[in-house]
Amino acid sequence: MNGKQQNAGKTAFTFLRNNTVPLMFILICAVCIPISGFSPSYLLNEIITRLGRNAFLILSLLIPIMAGMGLNFGMTLGAMAGEIALIFVSDWQIWGIPGVILAMIVSVPFSVLLGWVCGKILNMAKGREMITSYIISFFINGIYQLIVLYLMGSVIPIAHGSIKLPRGYGIRNTVSLLNMRQCIDNLLAIRVAGVKIPVLTLLIIALMCILIVWFRRTKLGQDMRAVGQDMQVARDAGIQVERTRLISIIISTVLAGFGMILYLQNIGNLSTYSAHSQVGMFCIAALLVGGASVDRASIGNVFLGVILFHTMFIVAPQAGAVITGDSMIGEYFRVFVSYGVITLALIMYEMKKRRQKASIGEQLALAQKEEERHE
Amino acid sequence: MNNKRKWIFRGCTLLVILLIAALMFIIGRGHTVYIDNKTLEYNGESYSALQKVEVWVNGERLSKLSKRDRTMTTTIGNSFEMKLINTVNKGDEPTEVTVKLSLPYGWDGILVNIPGYLANLPQEAWMTEFIIEPTPPEEGEEEPGEDEIPTAEF
Amino acid sequence: MKAKLASFVASFGLPRLIIASFLLALFILAPIVGVDLPMQITNVINRFSWNAILVLAMVPMVHSGCGLNFGLPLGIISGLLGATMSLEFGFTGPMSFIMAVVISTPFALVLGMGYGVLLNRIKGGEMMIATYVGFSSVSFMCMMWLLLPYHKPDMVWGLAGKGLRTTISLEGYYDKVLSNFLQINIGKISIPTGALLLFALLAVAMWAFLHTKTGTAMTAVGSNPAFAKAAGIKVDKIRMLSVVMSTWLAAIGILVYEQGFGFIQLYMAPFYMALPAVSAILIGGATVNKATIVNVILGTLLFQGIVTMTPTVMNSVIHTDMSEVIRVIASNGMILYALTRRSEVSR
Repeated sequence: MNGKQQNAGKTAFTFLRNNTVPLMFILICAVCIPISGFSPSYLLNEIITRLGRNAFLILSLLIPIMAGMGLNFGMTLGAMAGEIALIFVSDWQIWGIPGVILAMIVSVPFSVLLGWVCGKILNMAKGREMITSYIISFFINGIYQLIVLYLMGSVIPIAHGSIKLPRGYGIRNTVSLLNMRQCIDNLLAIRVAGVKIPVLTLLIIALMCILIVWFRRTKLGQDMRAVGQDMQVARDAGIQVERTRLISIIISTVLAGFGMILYLQNIGNLSTYSAHSQVGMFCIAALLVGGASVDRASIGNVFLGVILFHTMFIVAPQAGAVITGDSMIGEYFRVFVSYGVITLALIMYEMKKRRQKASIGEQLALAQKEEERHE
Repeated sequence: MNNKRKWIFRGCTLLVILLIAALMFIIGRGHTVYIDNKTLEYNGESYSALQKVEVWVNGERLSKLSKRDRTMTTTIGNSFEMKLINTVNKGDEPTEVTVKLSLPYGWDGILVNIPGYLANLPQEAWMTEFIIEPTPPEEGEEEPGEDEIPTAEF
Repeated sequence: MKAKLASFVASFGLPRLIIASFLLALFILAPIVGVDLPMQITNVINRFSWNAILVLAMVPMVHSGCGLNFGLPLGIISGLLGATMSLEFGFTGPMSFIMAVVISTPFALVLGMGYGVLLNRIKGGEMMIATYVGFSSVSFMCMMWLLLPYHKPDMVWGLAGKGLRTTISLEGYYDKVLSNFLQINIGKISIPTGALLLFALLAVAMWAFLHTKTGTAMTAVGSNPAFAKAAGIKVDKIRMLSVVMSTWLAAIGILVYEQGFGFIQLYMAPFYMALPAVSAILIGGATVNKATIVNVILGTLLFQGIVTMTPTVMNSVIHTDMSEVIRVIASNGMILYALTRRSEVSR
């Protein structure tokens, strides 16, 4: 009787430990929602909007995790490619859904190039992929600024003065995307009880999910999973490890480009110099909140994460204002929670890795002891 | 043999994508159409503004123009259709005219003069390019520096 | 001859060579385009004096194998707590600086120990986690700066009377306290002797420490942890010591920076402060597991040189200020270069 109780206790403990982050978040949301005083229909509307806006971006993070590259901070590169494409399409005055499609097509060469650079550098820093991709995003941000702030308008022809800075070259801090604002969202939108559901956007996301599930079953997908499990074993099995890793990053970057375009068409406005960095950090936080870890992430994590993270994002400032009378506290709180969640997830991943290593070591020691006894 | 097929397949996909892109270029071109009810001077002749013009676009009434009024609308693609309900002089019976225009690709803003159009003048008389003087942005655009606390829409 | 050149380039590092040549070119170009060279040299020396200790803080953790200290913000926060509390308790002038150091120290020790415990549990993933620990603590402190009971009128917001301001001026407190101490003026170049002396003191102390028994143990732990353990060295304790040292140096470093800069910067300012220090030491020749005092001096000089000279010279030449972008590309490129070198130690 006691043994069974012990076992149940153990599994409960393991469940808690494996799912600390989402559980913590559910707690935070449960506390903050009533305090904030938002109505359920308002929250529902906001969440569905944000789901449509961000889900695609977060889905792009799944492939590098599958290939063992950890959290792809280099998704910022894909976001930048999408932004550059949108700047061009805006300048060419291509509006509405054709504009979005064109932007996606134009973003691909940029995404592939940036993804290739990122993947090559990551292959040179095996074992430190995450911090390296983190620094890569800063580095390429510098190059992005070089292009967008200096080369565009001077060396790269930009026809419309309205998106250029007063000095004549370089793109303005904000570029209006009014002419394609919510064009995909609105096309097949349904209003249900005061909540707007962007059907087409959700269809596109569903399609992406199906594609990812299909991809996992293809040879390339299987190769990536093998590389993610153990690079040496995969190499021995004849898989081209470097090439597979490179491809995983390129695919992720291209998808991030598309996701960024979807994100921006929803907002309708491009913050030229800050949009991509915010997006990178918040998407990774959202994925981790959904229960993903550095080496394992599923589509369920994506959706759970979007819902939990964005609920917190919406209610925290208001709750902070109600509790302390200062709304800045809530704003800082949600930034703190976003970073804190990534920190916690990273720590737990490292500790799990060490535990696994230790237990393998113990098993080896046990096996050796058995051998010695048999001699 | 298999290699060759792979490259042909890739080449075709690329071609299809480029064709789609070209198509998007054409059907997605956005224009702003300005519609004037102003008296037009052309070749020494004067074509007077109408008493009242109702402009209907996509089944909805865009605007009601008196003399010297102007209205505007945005459109996507290179053809533009509007319905005009014209009252030439005070007290006249209103007449309906359907206008189908083919918009020049290179122009962002297109100005259409109704009296000129109704007088069947050559196109360059009543359709001109409309260029807006870019207003300098008010905010002092400084160097976009390091990230401040991310507070904006997410 | 060619082989010698090739080996020099390989050992010095190609990116480092590029950066050094770039800086040299800037210095040569400066008087030609009409830039006030003595003033710029003063600026470079001043900025060196502000930043050198922050870069020095990298050394202990690199030696003990904890990698580059991306968690520098923790130490910076200790320093900020010391500074704000010193002002709040009413100290002024040079005393406020000394008290700031005194008050920061316990905070640095406590935070450093906590940070050390954490890093010991996650050997192998230090750098990434350090970055996010730094970010989380800065955002946490953002909330604290608003809530903690500070009352001094020139530190809090005027209207509400509570919550610290984003930047607090140090005039009347310890603004330039070290820089003006024993200041030497050679022609138009002024040298902030006090600050340089403090850096020299700490650098010599660090060098001496690394040659003591504990110091060599630290280096052993970093270069060969298995050997160190076999030799009976308590690896975790040594790592903890290196983290505490690094955090304390960061606290002193930010105080020295503030006295040079003239302001206390709170809220999100410390957010990205680890990156310039990391980049500087890497430019100076360090790698992820090897750093010397020479790296610190050389790196800080080169980094601050570029930061100072690029805007002024470029402005005069092409009338555009591309300095921010160049700084971002150069400093992050340097870090990337270091991260992609194969390390001698595999964990």
